[in-house]
Amino acid sequence: MTARLRENQIVLLIFVALLSWFVPGAGYFWLKEKKRAIIVFTAIAITFWLGIYIGSIGVIDPVLAKTWYAAQIINSPMVALLGYVSAGGNFPVYGKPNEIGQIYTSVSGLLNLLCIVNAVHLAHVRWARQSGG
Amino acid sequence: MFTEVVFFIASLTAPEEIGTSPQSMLWLLPLSAAIAVVYKATKLPKITAVSFLKESAVLFGSIILFVVITALVLHVVAWLISW
Repeated sequence: MTARLRENQIVLLIFVALLSWFVPGAGYFWLKEKKRAIIVFTAIAITFWLGIYIGSIGVIDPVLAKTWYAAQIINSPMVALLGYVSAGGNFPVYGKPNEIGQIYTSVSGLLNLLCIVNAVHLAHVRWARQSGG
Repeated sequence: MFTEVVFFIASLTAPEEIGTSPQSMLWLLPLSAAIAVVYKATKLPKITAVSFLKESAVLFGSIILFVVITALVLHVVAWLISW
């Protein structure tokens, strides 16, 4: 019985993490934290798209800027689509626009990582309370 | 409307022109605001408009203050080295 409960909890936490990764704030929304979800989604989406607007989709480059890409992909798996289009310098961007665009898109990814961890923690705490653990 | 959407999408394939002027440092402001807002959204136990805006504004101000102090210290250090 305890093993079954533990298994269910792990599945729940993975589900919340994946949901938060696919759409920023969706994990909170599923946990009925609607205000938090709207704030997180709006802030992360604006930051990411502002970065793309400043530096173009060329700032997402899984071939020539792997480290930045590692942070950018945390925004959402949809970033991989942009990476596929712009890989290998198809949309060259240099200097300040490149710097600022990469910083914006990567920081928004890291902010989403913070939200994923927080949503998983929230789900764990609620699950523990409900199951009396 | 369709034309505007097409122009907007096309604008995402070419970077904006941003020089290396001191004004380009102002781009840190929207980023700091986003960091403050998301961080406070994860930290506040209950979100109400007043408390959330107040807490976010305080954190945003703290970030900017720390950046300004760091810039001043670095400026003084650079001045001392080159003096």
